[in-house]
Amino acid sequence: MMSQSSTLDQPSATRDNRITQFLRSYYIYFVLVAVVVLLSMANLDKFDLFERGNFLNHRNIINVLRVSAPLLTLAGAFTLLMVSGYIDLSVGSTMGLSAVVYAMLAINGVPFLAAFALTMVVGAGLGAINGLLVVRLKITPVIATLITLSLFKGVALLLVQDGVSAIKSGGGLKIPSWFNSYGREGTLLGLPMAFWVAVVVTLVLVIAQNRTLLGKYAAATGGNPTAAKLSGINTGKIVMLLYVIVGVSAALAGIARSSFMSLGDPLSGDGMELSAILVVLIGGTAFSGGEGRVLRSFIGALIIMALTVGMLTIIPAYYQTLVLGAALLAAAASNHLISRKETAL
Amino acid sequence: MSVSAKIGRTLVHSRRRISDEAFITLLVASVAVGLFLIASIVVPNFFQLLNMLNLVTNNWAVISLGVGVTFLLVSGNFDLSVGGILALSGVLAVWFSQSTDGHNALSTGLGMPYWLAVLCALGGALAIGGLNALFVVRLRIPSIIVTLGTMMLARGIAQVVTQGSQRNTNLPDAFGMLGNMSMFGTSLKLPVVLMVILLVIAIFIEKKTVFGRLTFWIGTNPVAAHLSGIDKSKHVTYLYLFSAVIAGVVGILLASEFKSGYSNRGTLMEFDALVIALLGGVAIAGGFGSVVGMFFGAIILAIVTSAATGLVLSPDWQYVLKAIAVFLAIIIQTWALARRNR
Repeated sequence: MMSQSSTLDQPSATRDNRITQFLRSYYIYFVLVAVVVLLSMANLDKFDLFERGNFLNHRNIINVLRVSAPLLTLAGAFTLLMVSGYIDLSVGSTMGLSAVVYAMLAINGVPFLAAFALTMVVGAGLGAINGLLVVRLKITPVIATLITLSLFKGVALLLVQDGVSAIKSGGGLKIPSWFNSYGREGTLLGLPMAFWVAVVVTLVLVIAQNRTLLGKYAAATGGNPTAAKLSGINTGKIVMLLYVIVGVSAALAGIARSSFMSLGDPLSGDGMELSAILVVLIGGTAFSGGEGRVLRSFIGALIIMALTVGMLTIIPAYYQTLVLGAALLAAAASNHLISRKETAL
Repeated sequence: MSVSAKIGRTLVHSRRRISDEAFITLLVASVAVGLFLIASIVVPNFFQLLNMLNLVTNNWAVISLGVGVTFLLVSGNFDLSVGGILALSGVLAVWFSQSTDGHNALSTGLGMPYWLAVLCALGGALAIGGLNALFVVRLRIPSIIVTLGTMMLARGIAQVVTQGSQRNTNLPDAFGMLGNMSMFGTSLKLPVVLMVILLVIAIFIEKKTVFGRLTFWIGTNPVAAHLSGIDKSKHVTYLYLFSAVIAGVVGILLASEFKSGYSNRGTLMEFDALVIALLGGVAIAGGFGSVVGMFFGAIILAIVTSAATGLVLSPDWQYVLKAIAVFLAIIIQTWALARRNR
C-alpha cells in the first residue's frame, strides 16, 4: 500500500527518500557535534571555552582521545562482524587476557615490538577459538562467545598469581619504563601511538569494507546467509576471518588499555562487549546483519567516550550506567524507526 | 516397505520411545547424579546430607530467576535483564521504606509502610519488564540487545538511588523479616520454600496448561503459531512481565535477607540464569526445554563450583569450569539428540 501512494506522489517521495538517505549517512556527525557543543557549554559560566576545566581545552581533548583508544580500535572490527550477522560477547575477556599476556611478556624482559606482535598473535588465536566454536561446531554465536567470555576471563585471572589483582611491578620483576609510552606519551599532535594505531586499524577496515571482497561478502552473509552460500561465497571462511580480526583488534585494545594503566589487569576489559554493541548500534548498523559502516561506528565510539568522560564534570559518576543503558535503548529504537521508514518508502 | 507399514512402524516406535524432552531431562539429571558421585569420591566431606541440601538452598535466587528465563528461552526470547531488575527492586524496596528523618541522603527514604514499599518496588520491576516487552514485541528489536539495554537501565537507576553504593540504615524492623524467616521450625528459610512453590507451579503451567504448551508452540514455529491465531505479542508480553516479577520478588527477598539495598547485587546473575537453563537442555533457538531440566542444570553448576571450592582451587577457576561445563553440555546434548533421531 505504501508503494502505491509513493508512485502516485513521485517527486516528494524521492525528496523524502533523499532526506532520509542524507540523515542516515550523516546524522552521526551531527550527534557528535551536538554532544561536543553540549559538553563544552556545560561549564562555560566558570571557565572560558578553551580554558583548563572546560571540555574543549586541548589537554582534555587529548585525554579523551587517549582514553578512547581501546574502544576506537575495537569498533571497526566489531561492526564488520555484526554486519555479517554474528556477535562476539567475549571481546572484553579477550582484552583482559591480552592485557595480562602483554604485561607478563613485558615484565619478563621481552622487548616492545616482540611483546606487541606476540600479543596480537594471542588475540588472533582467541578469535580463532570463537570462530571454530561458531563455524565448525555450529554453536549459536551468543552462547559460543558467552562460553569463551567465561573461559578467557578465567584464564586471565589464573595467569595472575593469587593475592595480586593484576600483573604489576613487584617480587623482583619490574614493569619496564617503555611500557606506558605506547598508551600515554604524545607523538603526532600530542596523541599517543595507541590512538594512531586505532586510526590506522579503522582506515584499513574502511578500505576493506568499501574496496575489497571481504566487505561485500560480509554484507552478503549478513543480508541473506542462504543466498550468499548459494552464490558460492564460503561464508564459514568469512565468519572465521572476521572473528580472527575481532580477536586481533581486541588484543590491540587490551595492549592500549594495559599500557595506559601501566599494569596487566585481567578485568580491564569488563563491560567492553556492551560498549562495543552500543557503539555499533549508535553507528546505525542493523542488528539483523547486512548493513553498517565501519567509519560510523568509529564516530559512535567518539560520541560514547566524549559522553562518558565529559559527563564526569557535570554529573556524578554513578549516573554512567543509567545514561549508557538509556543510550543503548534509544539507539536501538531509532535504528528501528529509521529502517522502518526506509522500507515504507 | 509400503507407506502404511512405515507409518505403523513409526507409530509403534513412537509409543515405545520417551519424548526428546524427557530424554534430555533424564540425561541432565543423570549427569548431575554422576557428577555428585564423582565429587563425593574426589572431594573430602562432600557426601553429606547437609551438603546435598545446601546445593539447592544456596542457589534459590538463581533457580528462581531461571524459571522466568527458561520460559522466555522456550518462547524464543532472551532475558538478560533479571540481574538488573533484582538489584533495582531491592534498592527501591529499601529506599521506599527508609524513614524520612535520616541524617544524610543515603539514610533518608520515602517512609512508606513496608507492604506498600514492597508493592511499589514490584511496580518498578514490572516497569522494566514492560519495557522489555514493548521493545521486543512492538518494535521487534532482538531481545538480546533490548534486555542488555534494560539490564543497564535497571542497574543504572539502582546506582543513582544508592549513589553508587548501598542504603542500609534507618529501616523499619519489619524489613529484615521476609528474607530471614525460618519455616516449619527448621533452618529452612522462606525464600527457599517460595522457590519450591514457584518450581511446582511452573512445572504445572509448563506441562498441564494451554498457556505452557502455547509457549512451546510459539518457540518452535512463530509463524505457524501466528497463522493459527495465537496472540504471540500478548503471550511474550506476559512472559516478560512474569520474569520481571520473579526477579523483583527475588530482589526484595535478598534485600530483606541482608537488610540492605546494594546496587551491584546480582551482577552477572543473568548470565548464570542463562547458563543453568542451557545446562538443563533448554534450546537457545526456542521451542525446547523444561523447568525440571533447568533445575538439574543449576545443580550441575552448583556441584562444579562447590567441588572446586572443596578442592581448595582458587576461586578464579570457577570461570574456566563454568565455560567447560556449558561447552560439554551443549556438545553432548546436540550429539545425543542427533544420534537418537538418526
